[in-house]
Amino acid sequence: MNFFSNKSFIAWYFVLPVVFIHLFVIGIPSILSLALCLTDWSGLGKINYVGFENFIELFDDRYFKKAIFHNILWTIIFLTVPVCIALMCAYLLTGIKRGQMFYRLAFFFPYMLASVINCQIWKYLFHPIHGLGGFFESIGIQALASSPFTTKETSLYAAAFVDGWHFWGFLVVIYLTGMYQVDNHLYEAADIEGATKFQKFRYITLPMIRPIFIFSLMIIIIWSVPVFDYVYILTGGGPAYSSEVVANYLYTHAFVRFNVGYASAVGTLMFVYVIIIVSIFGILRKLGWEI
Amino acid sequence: MMIKTLLSFVFSGIIAISFSAHSKTKVTWSMESNADRDPIFLEKLQNAYNSAQNNYELEIQFEPNETRIESLRTSMLAGMGPDIVETPGPSYVKEYQEAGMLENLDSYAAEFGWKDKLIPWAYSSGVFDGSLYAIPKTHESMVMLYNKTLFEENGWKVPTTLEELEDVAGKIQAKGMDVYTYGSSGWQPTHEHLVGIYLNNYAGPQAVYEAIIGEREWTDPVFVEALELLKKHMVDEGWWSGSLENYYAIGWDDFHAQFATRGAAMMTIGTWTFQATSLGIGASGDEWGWAPLPSLSSQSDGPNFMIAIGTTMSINAAAKNKDGAIDVLNWIMSNKDVVIDIASDFEFGEFVVPLLLDESDIPSSISPQVTSYLNEYARITGDGNYGYCTWTFWPAEPGVHIWKDMEVVWAGDISVEDFMHDHQKMWDKARKKNETLPVPLRD
Repeated sequence: MNFFSNKSFIAWYFVLPVVFIHLFVIGIPSILSLALCLTDWSGLGKINYVGFENFIELFDDRYFKKAIFHNILWTIIFLTVPVCIALMCAYLLTGIKRGQMFYRLAFFFPYMLASVINCQIWKYLFHPIHGLGGFFESIGIQALASSPFTTKETSLYAAAFVDGWHFWGFLVVIYLTGMYQVDNHLYEAADIEGATKFQKFRYITLPMIRPIFIFSLMIIIIWSVPVFDYVYILTGGGPAYSSEVVANYLYTHAFVRFNVGYASAVGTLMFVYVIIIVSIFGILRKLGWEI
Repeated sequence: MMIKTLLSFVFSGIIAISFSAHSKTKVTWSMESNADRDPIFLEKLQNAYNSAQNNYELEIQFEPNETRIESLRTSMLAGMGPDIVETPGPSYVKEYQEAGMLENLDSYAAEFGWKDKLIPWAYSSGVFDGSLYAIPKTHESMVMLYNKTLFEENGWKVPTTLEELEDVAGKIQAKGMDVYTYGSSGWQPTHEHLVGIYLNNYAGPQAVYEAIIGEREWTDPVFVEALELLKKHMVDEGWWSGSLENYYAIGWDDFHAQFATRGAAMMTIGTWTFQATSLGIGASGDEWGWAPLPSLSSQSDGPNFMIAIGTTMSINAAAKNKDGAIDVLNWIMSNKDVVIDIASDFEFGEFVVPLLLDESDIPSSISPQVTSYLNEYARITGDGNYGYCTWTFWPAEPGVHIWKDMEVVWAGDISVEDFMHDHQKMWDKARKKNETLPVPLRD
């Protein structure tokens, strides 16, 4: 039998078109980008090899360091706030027999909206003239006079809040799916033993949905690296880099400052970071962790 | 037989007409899109040009600048792109010129006498490494607008010096209004408008010129003081839209509405606003006025206008129809009436091709404020009293630094001295890499 007509290769043929598209759209540009990180290319014109100059400059760049710190903060916020709220809501929803679909839809709805729409809604809400601030002022109350998106101390948290608000409904749906797969007999046994609702959650639900839960943490950690759209639309990384994140910093260097070589160096570091995260999860899985 | 002969004549005629219509070769132009302006450009530029000759068919492709700049760059890199390349300013032209993507226009300029038709400084803004690569599509300046009715009602004097400005600002704020309305929401580079004003009107155009050509450092105390004053007015006094945070949150429609509804008494803005201002405040019943920006120190004696190029026109080196593209540019520069007609529709806020005009060329249809501005601008800049807008004379990287990182100064994260130190380093780097832009010689 011909090697390539072997049955085990049939699946390969089916996924081949996707592999080609990925290679064309992601693979080749990624390789080129990796090569560009060693140059001073402006995006047009001559390409000069500069060795590791971009990386040396990056490690000395205070705004890049600030952006990294903000990405770490962003990851911590998303690993805690939406996860906790989503877990709690999903667990409570399992107890609702009538009208559950309404809640699921309501929680999930922001996730279905385009990021630009979500952002515009919140921007208008906090607009100092037309938003809540303007409304409060018209009735003689001094509140929300400034938008949290344009205030240095709050801009990052405000952007994270809006992104989290859109994202947590997604987590509710995946946690809920996991919770429905838990064998009901376990809860019945716990009821007989007199377990409280919290104990059932802690000792039955959470361990049983662990693969889904760990998966959600992994995608949050990975998705927090290229976070861009909410920051770009709501704050543009400002004011004064107070909400700057790595992807937005990369974008500014590539498309505003004409520093494509430098931007590629940023992209390379992002790539390395994601590879490390995925590798850690892979190693843990090989060590027998149920993730 | 007669009928057959007649029909063959008719068909031949139709074929001949349609052949001549289709034999026109297409010239493409990628232009910044704007809902109000696009129909006028289609009617008075594209269609007018196409009717005026039989060789070329101009096709303007509109796209918002947010995406157009990127798609233009991508298509140019691929050796494609439109025949006429429109860029947002000389720093972009420099990038394309360095990459060999633009046609050298020297021979055409000599053949058609373009140098004699354009304002000298505007012509020289398109000269890179000794050759012409771009023609300004529009030139502009920064002015101070004020609510004339409000000023008259309160007996306020239009300020011409820092003392007068601070005096009137106090009176405006005491009335519960903002001194200026302006904001950067939707266009972060708005900051550079203010930075340019303070550099030119505090340090003076001569000092700015010396720094641009490398004879003075940007760390010079006069520039530091200029930006300290801007910081004081912006952050401590909240002159623009009441506070720094509100300045960041307010966009184009908001600040025009604020100006029209007396939310603020004045506005610092570019001349591209004339049409919007006329329409906005005109509907409120108040009258608006304009004035040159006040001198902010003794170094800046007398009024000056900052000169700037809004957009540029070049020919793609890989153009499919180079001759057609040249013909379009030459048609524009040879038809003063067309330029004046289109510019009048925008109250001379857009498509102000810097052709040499006489006072008599200015049509009576435009508002008296704009007429007086055009005359004053010509008189004052003609006397050599002009300053330099950052988006026309700053190389790409320092050009971004001057607005992007100004927020860091306003936030108090770094001092003005440190900011200017960084700025000087970027200029040094740009000078070393031959990235500086053309600047007209100063008398």
